[in-house]
Amino acid sequence: MTDQCETFWLPRADLDRLIRLLSEDGYEVVGPKVDQSAIVYDRIESAADLPEGWTDRQNPGEYRLERRDDKRLFGYVVGPHSWKKHLFPADELVAAAKRAGDTWQFTTPNAPPRRYAFLGVRACELAAIAVQDRVFMGGPWVDPLYRARREAVLLIAVNCTQAAATCFCTSMNTGPRCERGFDLALTELEQGFTVECGSERGRELLRRLFPADGPAMAEATELAAAEAARSEAVTRITRRMDTDGLRELLLGNLESSRWESIAERCLSCTNCTMVCPTCFCSTVTEVEELTQVDRRRQWDSCFNIDFSRVNGNPSRNTIAGRYRQWLTHKLATWQDQFGTSGCVGCGRCITWCPPGIDLTQEVAELRSSVERDSAGAVP
Amino acid sequence: MSLDAPNLLRMLHTTRFAEGLPHAELTALARASRLVEVGPGEVLFREGQVEDEVFVVFSGHVRLSMKVPGRGEVTLLTAGPGDLVGWSGLISDGVMTATATVMDSARLIALTGRGLQQLCDSDPQLGYVLMKRMAQVISRRLLSTRLQLLDLFADAAAARSHAGVPAAAQVAVPTETTPSGARP
Amino acid sequence: MTTDSRSSCATPAADPWRQQPARIHRMLQELPGVTTFELVPESGIGGGGHGIWPFRAGQFNMLYLPGVGESAISISGDPARADVIPHTVRQAGNVTRGLAALREGDVIGLRGPFGSSWPLERCGGHDVVLVAGGIGLAPLRPAIYQLLANRAEYGELTLIMGAREPQLLLYPGEYDGWRAAGLNVVTTVDRADGSWHGSVGVVTSILDRLWLRDPSGTLVFTCGPEVMMWYVMRTAASRGVPADSLYLSLERNMNCAVAFCGHCQFGPWFLCREGPVLSFDRVQRLLRIENL
Repeated sequence: MTDQCETFWLPRADLDRLIRLLSEDGYEVVGPKVDQSAIVYDRIESAADLPEGWTDRQNPGEYRLERRDDKRLFGYVVGPHSWKKHLFPADELVAAAKRAGDTWQFTTPNAPPRRYAFLGVRACELAAIAVQDRVFMGGPWVDPLYRARREAVLLIAVNCTQAAATCFCTSMNTGPRCERGFDLALTELEQGFTVECGSERGRELLRRLFPADGPAMAEATELAAAEAARSEAVTRITRRMDTDGLRELLLGNLESSRWESIAERCLSCTNCTMVCPTCFCSTVTEVEELTQVDRRRQWDSCFNIDFSRVNGNPSRNTIAGRYRQWLTHKLATWQDQFGTSGCVGCGRCITWCPPGIDLTQEVAELRSSVERDSAGAVP
Repeated sequence: MSLDAPNLLRMLHTTRFAEGLPHAELTALARASRLVEVGPGEVLFREGQVEDEVFVVFSGHVRLSMKVPGRGEVTLLTAGPGDLVGWSGLISDGVMTATATVMDSARLIALTGRGLQQLCDSDPQLGYVLMKRMAQVISRRLLSTRLQLLDLFADAAAARSHAGVPAAAQVAVPTETTPSGARP
Repeated sequence: MTTDSRSSCATPAADPWRQQPARIHRMLQELPGVTTFELVPESGIGGGGHGIWPFRAGQFNMLYLPGVGESAISISGDPARADVIPHTVRQAGNVTRGLAALREGDVIGLRGPFGSSWPLERCGGHDVVLVAGGIGLAPLRPAIYQLLANRAEYGELTLIMGAREPQLLLYPGEYDGWRAAGLNVVTTVDRADGSWHGSVGVVTSILDRLWLRDPSGTLVFTCGPEVMMWYVMRTAASRGVPADSLYLSLERNMNCAVAFCGHCQFGPWFLCREGPVLSFDRVQRLLRIENL
């Protein structure tokens, strides 16, 4: 947790200078932007690119952009994109092979990584980045491509001051307050932002933004207003996931009939895995170029039937089996693998599921069906 | 062939079929048994014949086969130490469903079906135990047959050839157990 | 977890995506559709900097055919041998068919070794039973070489080898040598004509009647079709071998081999990392759940 006395004040008009300073420093600034009726994360040039006055309304299977009655720049929650598309791109070169006489010359990419500055990272997304850090850098093997980008990235977080109906970060202990893992964390107020520094890099950035006499400290009224705004997010979160004994609940009921019931609704469309900020499944495919063969890693999904294929036969031949794999991995076996849940409570998989399957609801149903069964067993 | 009652008793109680039985029951069982020593190629019984003996293989191996027109004698199974062959003599009409040929020097304990049946009838407690063991033997045999039926190695055989079998692969059977074939 | 010390042994500092060029020294036609590729990394074996580290029995490599893809193949050679790395490959998909179309002297890509290994370190002083079905003997062969290289350290050593028919027994030319070196080799086939004088029946029947000196101190390693392995494990357990002394080598879709891609997950495990060799007590429950 950052020290309250180190909270600074960034006037709204100076945010644009911050973006430009980052660009001058060689960062590619990525932030929220309205595109095709959604707020997505994309390259931004200035504060004018930000989704001023827009908000998102989310429900299971539903996402709508709506006008706000103010000019907030970060007055939305989360959209279909997550930062993983920049740290772990949906399609990237991992290796290449080139004919060299009667042999092959094998190479791996060694270009310097793109240096990103992410603007507008939510608390649940900071948690998601920390989860993917464990996946790609926490095991015996380290993915050099992920690590290079991850080490170069600058994270400017923005605290949520509202919540969507699909949010449940409070259940997963990931938000809504940004507490760690950022360089700077902003809380948006009408006239500007309170700013906390999470790293020396963030502090240095602020100093350079105000070279004359450094950044101003936030006033007590601003601190109080920011605190009130952040509390508003907490009170607006209505969705809950009961994580108590969740791993045991799921792994102890792998043969529950609930999986079949979910399968009747699940389209196995892979949307949930694409929008999930922690899902990391991929497949390396061969791409023949003019003078070489590229090996490209592309996002894949455990909902694809080919994903589990062994010797021509899929190991998970049913939607029930694939949904079970996804949910039990996300909420249970992830803990065995990475010492953390794979779910950060961002709610994207609920919003972007065409039939609106809600994992919090499914977990609750499984729990109550198990409780019913065990209650029924008692005479 | 020889008959040596104390020896037979000792042998019997090391077989899975009779192990752990109380001495009195073992003795009764031994009375209904005889030791059979057979050389390679000898036929224990033939498919279609009526036989009255059930064999517990003590050492060596017995090939069970059935005659299929056009294919000749097809080997179904190689029975080894601890296995039971010829159970039709005990639980059915005694008409053998396969031909049993001894593959190497084998020692078997032959139990007369009638003797065994009488034993079971007069001592239902023992009869129950023996029938249960018989059922276990048959259940294991059924599982093996199913696994054979599943043809689990079919993929590897997709492009089969008719190359000769190297001699080394063939010398398989007698090395499977320690000489006695029984458990200490 | 007991396998931690045996999981991925290559250096974490190495780039896991880096392919090593490896030349096909020899191609041996083992069975119809099954070929052993003896590979020699262009930079040699055991030298520095190329990532091909000494492997442990049971581990696998990724064999790469540029333009076609990679396939996870168990290493089937002697870990102590420093001249070639043999891989026995069954043609089953595009990559393995592509490999079969290559010729001696051709170069392919190689990454590895990956995964867990047979727990030979547990075998000292104990009886070990290896049960192989079909091409499942390939990942067990390195263990056989190692056990026989230090024969005096172990108790009874038995290999039960099953195949569909006599002509499809893998590595038949080696059985006599293994027998002479102190391995009790028992072969059995599902079906055979009159020219076969060996055993007919499944490996579980042989295991069921195998004399075990000390079941609780015996280790069983098995590799073959999953159904076969399940009944091998069950049979061995019924004979009194503890579930944590039963090991099997599982096969799932391995794509990256370094636990990044998610394909080979089996319950909590990445089979490329915690597997392919796992003990039965850990997988027993999961193995019988369909579509897991």
